[in-house]
Amino acid sequence: MSKLSEAIANICEKRQWLYKPILLMESGAKKLIFRCQDCGQCVLSQNAFTCCMRCPKQIRNGPCGGTRPNGRCEVYPNRACIWWLIHRRAKRLGVVHKLKKYHIPADRRLQYTSAWMNMFAGRILPLQLGKKPKEVTLTKKDPPPLR
Amino acid sequence: MAAGNLELLLNLGHFVVCGEISPPQSADKAAVLKKCAYFKDTVDAVNFTDNQTAVVRMSSVMASVFALECGLEPIMQMTCRDRNRLAQQSDLLGAAAAGIKNVLCLTGDYMSFGNHPDAKGDFDLDSVQLIHAVSELNQGRFLSGDVLKSPMKLFIGGAANPFAEPFDLRIIRLGKKIAAGAQFIQTQPVFDVPRFEKWISAVRDEGYDQQVHILAGVMPVRSVRALIHLRDEVPGSLVPDEYILRMDAVKDDKEKSAEVGLALAVEIVDQLKRIPGIKGIHFMPVMWESITPRLVEQCGLLPRPKPVIASESSEEAV
Ligand code: SF4
Ligand code: SF4
Repeated sequence: MSKLSEAIANICEKRQWLYKPILLMESGAKKLIFRCQDCGQCVLSQNAFTCCMRCPKQIRNGPCGGTRPNGRCEVYPNRACIWWLIHRRAKRLGVVHKLKKYHIPADRRLQYTSAWMNMFAGRILPLQLGKKPKEVTLTKKDPPPLR
Repeated sequence: MAAGNLELLLNLGHFVVCGEISPPQSADKAAVLKKCAYFKDTVDAVNFTDNQTAVVRMSSVMASVFALECGLEPIMQMTCRDRNRLAQQSDLLGAAAAGIKNVLCLTGDYMSFGNHPDAKGDFDLDSVQLIHAVSELNQGRFLSGDVLKSPMKLFIGGAANPFAEPFDLRIIRLGKKIAAGAQFIQTQPVFDVPRFEKWISAVRDEGYDQQVHILAGVMPVRSVRALIHLRDEVPGSLVPDEYILRMDAVKDDKEKSAEVGLALAVEIVDQLKRIPGIKGIHFMPVMWESITPRLVEQCGLLPRPKPVIASESSEEAV
């Protein structure tokens, strides 16, 4: 992102006593609201604020071919398909075009790390709040030193 | 590298025909060869399913190699359920080395549908990312960015389900697959032709039918039970009541039931052939492979164009 945010991430990621509370806070809040699965590379802002990692197959470019006619998941007939939910909410928010973006394979090293810090450090794409998706080149590839 | 038969025929503008074989639930090579015999000279290429519906079967890579031995062109299916990106890329290298020309990338049915519901699923990549991975390999790179020592080429396929919800998102996802590198698309079996027409016209509006070869799936069924199972148990399939009623009327007579099933499939193919944007038919005679020669003949799709000899087209080799 910026020099400043990278510096902040750098400071936090090297100190367990700082990193752990941030992670707990982030993950706790996102668990309550979005049922976050701690993938560490948040795509909430691109997927109409619905977490796609809740999908049993964790598809980041969904949906799979099995969504039932009533919008239920093929695996759990009593649950909605996450991607059906994403699409419905994207329609309401008017951001369906954002779903056209291809998501690269998840970096499994980032599981259980703080997506906020990863964003500050420039490891993952920043929040996509506007109508237009931002294109940013990522500066860092390595996972945070503390996990 | 020479292109495969399927790719050549599609590029020449032929209306292609594909088949589908599920490898046996045993280590019986003869069973694969027996099924291959039904498809030889009646179709242009045959899909080999990869542990379809999460039931353990012979590996699709090996079954595809056996098909090559008897002169049949395989389309190796690869799911993301059982392998991570390492195993997938290594199997793709092996497949290309064995002479397999086509790969169909799928996400895969969930474990709970099969005979090992207690298994851990992998789902490291999803099908769009797998298509991207194959396309990277074709361009001489691994997913990691490392360079391949020598080039390889696979004709990349993806799947599409015109019948499942949400409709618009499926069109978007098809676009993603094409952008990721898919060169042909096979659809779920079509029973509900009007719905399929709605889908294909949305696809045409986006111009996707010009960028990718779309093959429509057709599944002949021989009993009303199979049809009802499809409607109720297989997520993402639509079966009109009319077909169920017609099959139900003859359900006590096995032979008649098979005849009606065959007639239904032929009817569907006749309607599909007339839809612009369809480049071929993909038959899925699950557990009824023996019907293929008759089915293809009754659809008026025989004889198939002669397989192009690989040595003739190898001039373009790099
Ligand atoms: S996308 Fe990842 S980080 Fe964001 S809510 Fe879902 S699991 Fe959590
Ligand atoms: S139906 Fe939806 S939630 Fe269920 S596995 Fe498929 S994409 Fe995921």
